[in-house]
Amino acid sequence: MDHTRLEMYDDVGGHVEGEMNIPTNKNAQYLGQPDFNTLDEPIKDTIMRDVKAVGIKFGHVLFPKEKKTLLKEWDLWGPLMLCTFMAMVLQGSSLSDHTSEGGPEFAEVFVIVWIGSMIVTLNSKLLGGNISFFQSVCVLGYCLLPTTIALIACRIILLVKQTYLMFFIRFGVSMAGFAWATYASMIFLGDSQKPGRKLLAVYPIGLFYFIISWLVISHTTSS
Amino acid sequence: MTNLQEVPTDDLLSFQDYPTVPVHTAGGNSTISVPVTQIDVSGNLKSNPPSSTNNMPPPGNPNNPSSLPNLGSPEDEETPASKSFWTIEYYQKYFDVDTKDVVERIIASITPKWDNSLKHHLRTKPDLYGPFWISITLIFTIAISGNIASYLQHASPSYHWKYDFHLVSYAATTICLYITLIPFTLWGLLRYSTQAGDVEDLDQDNVTPGALELICIYGYSLFIYIPAAVLWSIQINLLQWLLVIIAAFVSGSVLLLTLMPALRLSKHKFFLAIGIMVCHALLAAGFMLYFFHVPNTVPVPAIQEAVKKVVEQSKTNATDAS
Repeated sequence: MDHTRLEMYDDVGGHVEGEMNIPTNKNAQYLGQPDFNTLDEPIKDTIMRDVKAVGIKFGHVLFPKEKKTLLKEWDLWGPLMLCTFMAMVLQGSSLSDHTSEGGPEFAEVFVIVWIGSMIVTLNSKLLGGNISFFQSVCVLGYCLLPTTIALIACRIILLVKQTYLMFFIRFGVSMAGFAWATYASMIFLGDSQKPGRKLLAVYPIGLFYFIISWLVISHTTSS
Repeated sequence: MTNLQEVPTDDLLSFQDYPTVPVHTAGGNSTISVPVTQIDVSGNLKSNPPSSTNNMPPPGNPNNPSSLPNLGSPEDEETPASKSFWTIEYYQKYFDVDTKDVVERIIASITPKWDNSLKHHLRTKPDLYGPFWISITLIFTIAISGNIASYLQHASPSYHWKYDFHLVSYAATTICLYITLIPFTLWGLLRYSTQAGDVEDLDQDNVTPGALELICIYGYSLFIYIPAAVLWSIQINLLQWLLVIIAAFVSGSVLLLTLMPALRLSKHKFFLAIGIMVCHALLAAGFMLYFFHVPNTVPVPAIQEAVKKVVEQSKTNATDAS
């Protein structure tokens, strides 16, 4: 298998596959005790383990250096949390007045995030990238974290009286979130494409985060 | 012999990764006479002999330059046939472009030339990457800069401006319809109106462009509206109309020049050409008028007030009726 050395664009390996980490055998730690699996352990342990895994992945997105962890064990809990939070904050005030225009509905944010990340993933698959579908969706979802932080920051800025300066601060914050998200996802996903096609795969990712950042900037309190 | 058994999978992998490297295949051709022993002796040459064994069935290749395209083409023709319609690999042939190709096609789509460079680019292999992402970009550019335009129109402390996310839906509907309906209609019209006698004189693929090719051409022709949409948000009436004319003229003329060989054979070439231009200009004018333009005479808030009143009246009527 000398060929793998020749593949310049492919640092991760011949074919990257996801694997779910299901700890079935804990007998090594509890030697004297009867068989112990996830069904028997306290529910707190189960939840805490998953929460810890999600938290570690958030950390990797905030400081994108090492790319293996986020790719190897994908899950969709983090993206679901981020997406639900953003959709809840961003949704337009549909109850107060039906006629006036406004922000997106809850479902529209949801659809943009999920369908958007699926389309971006499908695009990189169609371009010939070697990465599994859900890995890419997972990475794109986790990389929403910077834009979510930008959304929280914008929400706090919106509490004070709005001036042009405040708008520019919000603009800067969400652009920083956009740049951060794009950079992080590029680190994780950039290597899965051939060198000549990197830009073609990165552009849709950038567009995806740009649209979400646009939603973040445009979000104002309904008054 | 174990090496020989491993050969086909390695061959498949290496060939898919390097579809357009003629140097290797040329090297393979030269070493074609030493197939089996070479594998066992040197590890370096392992990658080359499998590709040469693959080329064995058409073995003649007396002259190198003519054999090079022959090496590529049977591979390209075989892969789509072997892939199922439902797999991703089936569609990969529509996305088989590099950054360089896409940039070249975009540049060709905004520079009208008589020598039909865009057609030349597209004729080899039409892609769907460009049309798809150009459409998506255009949809969101129009939505975003439409909002900026509406903000600039209403920027006053008294009027509480809200952004309208649903411009995305309107823009998406328009562009999706334009990029699917028009090429298919044109394709049908060309098919219908092309004289049968002329078709047989010329070679077939030079005459009627396929529906996919038309979609590709139309998709790239939308590119110029992206910068135009950004500039449309500047609220100067003259500039807006100037942009409409320039954008529609430039990309419309590229469209016409690209389609000219096909149109020339049609019976109604004059009407078709006018139709293409009018549709393209109407799209530009429609974008500008709907998303960016504010009529000078009627203030928009007054309309909104009126609409609100009407809606509330109808609501009360509905509740009374029930």
